[in-house]
Amino acid sequence: MKLSDIVVSEAIVTGLRADSKEAAIRIMVASLKDAGSVAPDDEESIVAAILKREELGSTGIGNGVAVPHTKHPSVDKLIASVALSNEGVDFASLDGENVHILFLLVSPPDRPGDHLRGLENISRHLRNQNFCNFLKQSTTKEEVIELLKEADNNQLE
Amino acid sequence: MRQSVNVNNENGLHLVPCSRIAQRAARFQCDVQIHKENRSVDAKSILDLMTLNAEHGTTLILEARGDGAAEAILEIVRLFESNFQEDDDQST
Repeated sequence: MKLSDIVVSEAIVTGLRADSKEAAIRIMVASLKDAGSVAPDDEESIVAAILKREELGSTGIGNGVAVPHTKHPSVDKLIASVALSNEGVDFASLDGENVHILFLLVSPPDRPGDHLRGLENISRHLRNQNFCNFLKQSTTKEEVIELLKEADNNQLE
Repeated sequence: MRQSVNVNNENGLHLVPCSRIAQRAARFQCDVQIHKENRSVDAKSILDLMTLNAEHGTTLILEARGDGAAEAILEIVRLFESNFQEDDDQST
């Protein structure tokens, strides 16, 4: 599984401006809808499911990173969008810090293994400080797409 | 000190279990590692734990060294045995 296989290129958001966790999640799901990966009729239900998941405990896992996610029957494979925020979003993170890098995942309910592999893949790259630093510096979709490819090819070590 | 544990919850070690393990491990001064096959990760790091890709049915080895090692192992084993107190399979 590669980052560039799961991240929907057209749904990448740079320069995210969101004054709350919910606003950030809404923008990211809307970007998946605009990219054609989520049907307009499913948008609200996906947002609601992600917000419900956040109630169990923030997916802001520290170091400026959040991984909001849900299972949803409307998708037939794992899809993700990436958003980057310069000023940071208050995500009620475990370490109390604002988040600057967000990976939002939507996975089919009957494929828990895919969800785990997606998390594994994203986590592995997020442990690489170069990857995080370059992501934060990216200002266009094209830069992010290029960076994801470099990460997939292990060119950032 | 080492002890093996099984991943019995249906969804494996996704973000909720990893968060709970990391938060529990962080309460202890000792170093806590989790081994899967020939890899080992820091149990206090959520990102490290998520890279284990530990699905349902996986056997892991907990290892703790230092102050409170025995208690840390005991508490983390309890988390595994409770299936991380997940209510249902929606809590991915």
